[in-house]
Amino acid sequence: MTRTRQLALLWLLAVCLLLGHNVYLWAVKRIVPDTDIMALLPVQERDPVLQQSFSHMVDAAQQRVVVLVGAADWDDAKRAADAYSTTLAARKDIFDATPINEQTQSDWLSLFQQHRLILLTARQEAQLRDQPAQFWLDAALAKLYAPFGGPKLGSWQEDPFGLFSGWVQERAQETPVRPRDGHLFVADGQRQYVLLPLTLKVPALSMTAQETVLPLLKQAGDAARKATPQAELIQAGVILHAANASSQASGEVSTIGIGSLLGIILLMWFAFHSFKPISLILLSIGIGCLGALSVCWMLFGQIHLMTLVFGASLIGVAQDYGIYFLCNRLAADEKLDSPALLKRLLPGLCLTLLAAVIGYMGLALTPFPGLRQMAVFSALGLVFAWLTVVFWFPTLIGGRTLKSGGLVRVYGAALRRWPLLRFNRATLVAAVGFVLAAGYGVSRLGANDDIRLLQNPPKHLIADQIKLSKLLDAPTPVQYFLVRGDSGETVLQREEALKARLDKLIAAKRISGYQAMSNWVPSAKTQAERRSLIEAKLLADGGPLQGIATQTGEDAQWIAATRAGLLTAAAPLTLDDFLKTPASDPWRHLWLGQTNGVYASIVALRGLSNAAVPQVLLAAEGLDGVQWADKVAEISSVLGRYRQYMSWVVLGAYAVVYALLFPRYRRKTWRVLAPTALASIATLALLGFASQNLQLFHVLALMLLLGVGVDYGIFMQEHPDRRDRTPWLAVGMSAANTILSFGLLGLSSTPALQAFGLTMLLGTALVWLIVPCFGSTKESTQ
Amino acid sequence: MNKLKIVIAAVSLAALNHAQAAVPAAKIQAMLAKPPIMCGRFDQTKQLAGMKKPLASEGRFCVVAGKGVLWRTLKPFPSTLRLTRDEIVNYQGDRVAMRLDAKTEPTVRVINNVLFSLLAGDLGQLDTLFDGDGSVDADGWSVALKPRQAALEKAIGTIKLEGGAYVKSIVMNEAGGDRTTIVFSAIQSGEAAMTKEEAALF
Repeated sequence: MTRTRQLALLWLLAVCLLLGHNVYLWAVKRIVPDTDIMALLPVQERDPVLQQSFSHMVDAAQQRVVVLVGAADWDDAKRAADAYSTTLAARKDIFDATPINEQTQSDWLSLFQQHRLILLTARQEAQLRDQPAQFWLDAALAKLYAPFGGPKLGSWQEDPFGLFSGWVQERAQETPVRPRDGHLFVADGQRQYVLLPLTLKVPALSMTAQETVLPLLKQAGDAARKATPQAELIQAGVILHAANASSQASGEVSTIGIGSLLGIILLMWFAFHSFKPISLILLSIGIGCLGALSVCWMLFGQIHLMTLVFGASLIGVAQDYGIYFLCNRLAADEKLDSPALLKRLLPGLCLTLLAAVIGYMGLALTPFPGLRQMAVFSALGLVFAWLTVVFWFPTLIGGRTLKSGGLVRVYGAALRRWPLLRFNRATLVAAVGFVLAAGYGVSRLGANDDIRLLQNPPKHLIADQIKLSKLLDAPTPVQYFLVRGDSGETVLQREEALKARLDKLIAAKRISGYQAMSNWVPSAKTQAERRSLIEAKLLADGGPLQGIATQTGEDAQWIAATRAGLLTAAAPLTLDDFLKTPASDPWRHLWLGQTNGVYASIVALRGLSNAAVPQVLLAAEGLDGVQWADKVAEISSVLGRYRQYMSWVVLGAYAVVYALLFPRYRRKTWRVLAPTALASIATLALLGFASQNLQLFHVLALMLLLGVGVDYGIFMQEHPDRRDRTPWLAVGMSAANTILSFGLLGLSSTPALQAFGLTMLLGTALVWLIVPCFGSTKESTQ
Repeated sequence: MNKLKIVIAAVSLAALNHAQAAVPAAKIQAMLAKPPIMCGRFDQTKQLAGMKKPLASEGRFCVVAGKGVLWRTLKPFPSTLRLTRDEIVNYQGDRVAMRLDAKTEPTVRVINNVLFSLLAGDLGQLDTLFDGDGSVDADGWSVALKPRQAALEKAIGTIKLEGGAYVKSIVMNEAGGDRTTIVFSAIQSGEAAMTKEEAALF
């Protein structure tokens, strides 16, 4: 047995193992690709408390689905909402409906009632400091004589000055949602809505869960519309966005993958007039994909759907090796046997693989876990495809297997008429023109690192989200203040200092309100201050309390009894007490507790518009332990930093590839790299002329372009003779396929992938056009 | 006025279930005059637990169908309460001591409905919130209302209404022992019932 055969058999064994592993993965383990778009983002470890607060807020939000069922008439809305919940109630394994517990509602006040004297609104506190005794006497008497004034949170004596009821009123306004008829009710000018808060029992980001939940929600919606035809449904939840992203990505995998394959098959047919080369190329690509998937799964323990989307474009690069071999086989003498031909091609093939793998490894240098996986997947895919070509193609393709097609002759003839760069006047003029045009184009490039580039949710989801947050006046989970301290008390005090500033922003209508733990449990310091304030201003001898007694004809005994009664309700309220009661349920997420000796909490803002952010975040300035946390800006700034960082990596990669190629090409090395470099610059200039904003994904594409473009440079330099059409054919076929696959990526509705695809499309086309100009015919013929 | 807010909050907390009350509502409805506008005098006596003397106050009230209620305490302290579809406002003299907007407090409308119904004797409207027990004779009717919700009962206690063509008295008994009695008299109806001052307030 020849060595070639041995290697081929060995590889067959490896491929069988891969095949077995894949069958095991898909059929036995039933693996499902990960669809969490956030997995594409870097894990940041700079500030554990900040990160914890982000994941805390996101985790709380992720499993929630909020549905509003509305109609002009409350009864209609209720009927529709009942139909909706009945449908979902049948699937208790999927949804947890939050029950409206009446017991909790009547009980939630009792804890505060025991501490009512120290619960004041900021306004009341200011009034206590500023207003004269007469003000409080008037207020108490007016309350005393008011109609229907008897009962409420207790008797008049328990809250003679109405301070506690004012506080409760302010707390109630932290949300516009009210219990009504055993439903949660919220309304705007046109409609009355039933609020249905749902909690998913299945992971929102799992695709199987999405496939169950979405039809169920639709079914529930249909039931609601059947009950009340004019019912309006507003739905929001991470799962809706995730499901949309999944289906969009799945759709794109098939579009890009199938389009890419069709392009390759057609091209091959026109070039070789045979299905054998096509099936061989497909075989190498297939093994590349299977191998990449197997090893990736072993390395990462999961596979992201975006990796598969990106991997679909791998087809465009993995074919290069097969095409290069086939084109050379076609051109070579029939008498030259294939293993010998391969030996001749091997140095070039090795360099192309290395250059591409270096290109992909540049992607792996990013801190984005998703990109890292894509890079590893792609690099592995290339290695497996390359090995298939090297081990199998010489055995499978003999000297007479291939015949040249008509397209090859026409296309090949074009090379002769292609301009060749020489050191002359025309070249100089072209160079100056290029420098000017490119310089102008590149100077027009802006930059955009907005996180929204990663995802592009459909308009109706955004519209629902906006309407929902308007109706519920809920705080945003991605922008808030993070407050830290060495004890719970310090955190509460710092919150109070922050809130004093936020109150001014509320007055200036920059925000509509805030949610904070200290709204419910004031710091011990504040509690003590308030107690002495009330004792001095309201309960002191000769103060308003005595005034009431005089007016109503009561004696000193009554005063003493009332004062004693009030002071029993001045016992300090502790955070732990509050956290133990069900009343704290809706606010518990604001308290992060203790991490490594640091206590932290979140102060969430309601009614915050993007325009107000720059002004609002200033509230943290100069306050110890208070920090503005903005997940959106955080991610955008990471994207921005890595755009800059990756730009340097691209330049570095050029240097590395140059060093790698130098031992073989020496003084001609620049001819291999120059087409790719020029095409990259021209692509940037074109993007600039099209008023595009540069983002990370353009830069990542330039990295990949380096890997692809260097292949073409190597092919051309390996066969410097212009009469030899083989490399030109290989470049053309490979570039056409790359354009087909990446051009289709440019059709993606995800802005990031689109930017990537467009850059590859322009860049590859330009390399293809430029590469023959850098041929070195003269020297080679010597 | 804060007490009123709390009543409001408590009413809003109550869940409404529809059940038939043991109230001869139809007969009472037939007796009620239900004029579009009616005004009159009220005398209120409050007996609070722990206080020796009852607190007496008096003033005028107006109930305007489709608009709301005006409640003017004249003695011992002038204070005006106006309840309309969109807000509840309390004036002490000319000063607005309290304003509750339906936009920020959605239950304002529910509350105003209840108070309007109480003063107008419109028992049908109250049926969803209260368990009723009543009797009717030739001279008039009386109804005892007990909140269906424990939370509401804790907050406002039980209510007794008496009336004929109009509601004559309301007695509220709270769990804590406080008791409020309001007696209505000199009730007039029609446009002329309202003074200029009162009309201006609406």
